[in-house]
Amino acid sequence: MALLEIEDVVAGYGAGPDILTGVTLSIDEGTSYCIVGPNGAGKSTLLRTIAGILKPRAGEVRLDGTRMNGSRPDQMLAAGVCFVPQDASLFPTMTVRENLVMGGYLLGDRVLKRQRLEMVFETFPALADRKSQNAGTLSGGEQQMVTLGRSLMVEPKVVMIDEPSLGLAPMIADQIFEKIGGFRELGITVVLVEQNAVKGLESVDWGFVLDLGSKEFEGPADGILADPRIRELYLGKQLAPRERR
Amino acid sequence: MNWVQLLVLGLLLGSVYAMMASGLTLLFGVMRVVNLAHAAFILIASYITYLLFENLTLDPIVSLVITMPLMFGLGVIIYLVLFPRIEGSARYVEMTVLLTFGLALVVEGLLTFVFTGTFRSVRPDYVSTSIHVGDIFIPSNQLYASAVSFALLIGLWVLLRFTKTGTAIRATMQNRGAAQIVGVNVRRISAFAFGTGMALAGAAGSLLSFLFPFFPGKHWQWIALLLSLIVLGGMGSIKGAVIGALLLAIASAVVTDTFGPTWSPITFYLTLFLILLVRPQGLFGAKLRL
Repeated sequence: MALLEIEDVVAGYGAGPDILTGVTLSIDEGTSYCIVGPNGAGKSTLLRTIAGILKPRAGEVRLDGTRMNGSRPDQMLAAGVCFVPQDASLFPTMTVRENLVMGGYLLGDRVLKRQRLEMVFETFPALADRKSQNAGTLSGGEQQMVTLGRSLMVEPKVVMIDEPSLGLAPMIADQIFEKIGGFRELGITVVLVEQNAVKGLESVDWGFVLDLGSKEFEGPADGILADPRIRELYLGKQLAPRERR
Repeated sequence: MNWVQLLVLGLLLGSVYAMMASGLTLLFGVMRVVNLAHAAFILIASYITYLLFENLTLDPIVSLVITMPLMFGLGVIIYLVLFPRIEGSARYVEMTVLLTFGLALVVEGLLTFVFTGTFRSVRPDYVSTSIHVGDIFIPSNQLYASAVSFALLIGLWVLLRFTKTGTAIRATMQNRGAAQIVGVNVRRISAFAFGTGMALAGAAGSLLSFLFPFFPGKHWQWIALLLSLIVLGGMGSIKGAVIGALLLAIASAVVTDTFGPTWSPITFYLTLFLILLVRPQGLFGAKLRL
């Protein structure tokens, strides 16, 4: 059985139109995924809906076969689905350490919290050096590391990461992708949304192409990258500048 | 009057203002709600204290144990009934201003209906006594009100600093989205914070009832003063609200002594204007994007 199943999910904001018009996809444990597609395709909306921030208007979100529709974000997190939003959502006047500890807000056990914190510092040694610094004073890449590290505090089953490379220099973005690649060794299933489709697809196993609120195509990531038809139809605009170089 | 005397009077009243303002700034910090009805709720507590004193001769300080939980409950109910409807709105800030302005009018109308517009005051024995230390005199009622306010401020600090709920409140104040992502139930925390702010309003009402005479329209005067305190300190900063309140109360005491009591209220707004010219975000406020 799939770990996470999304079936005919329709969602949108406030009284606005449907952004997702019926998305169906399934996430298996231990595989990594990237959702690509043009601007406004509904990629972020899909992650926000799965995370419980947005309520689906129709359809079903199932985790391990259990219907999760209408669950709050804290309930989804407790069930093992962690969301890393695109704006490096940190607590700016708390230190790096305090931010990471906040990631373990749902953990009751102090000893466990301390162990996880050690584990995060091992995975992100750069953060250990800056643990007493206020998160608001970090660079964009470092802030992204904190949000990634924070997501490890609850030992989630699935981490959904929205645009991790947004606003980062290419070299820094590569470091971030490398860290995300390391999540798999920790037994975490990664679902990535990435504007930089090539980078995103290169770092995962399986790709979903989303357009106008529904899934248009799915397949092995390298297959999508190699398919000229898909590149032209859905990824064309983003690839053009890179190819011209 | 000598300076030490003015300083003492300013600090006594300032700590009461600080406690009132910290409740209001807490609401703003957690929910981005400028609660224009805050002073109206304070008055509800003043009238409850008045009733308890007149009918049961209950000491107004003791009546805090009734007004605080009562206002906490009222706050949670008001939050849960009114706010989830407008939470997702694109015009959230505007709507909260109108909503709380409306609440203030409703409360004023109800209080006028029940208690008429007559001035009331609660007069336990200590209203007319004072303590003398050297040539400094300390009015007993102000001393007690100040001590209670100070204790409540310490309580609030302990709550925010050392409890799990407090940590969640601080996290929500800094970044509501991030708090939600790490598993804080922001609606429950908001309801709790609203209740806490209202409980402080309840305490303030009980204390003010024996410091100043009051009538249902009095809340406009209080809310204007409270808003100037929290804007001065930096919206959403409790430390700022406390320091702003102490500074302004001292300034007001000095102005009253030098120019006469007529000029006292203007101290608050004049200081506010001057400080905002130099620091638009207030003394301790972060630059806000609303």
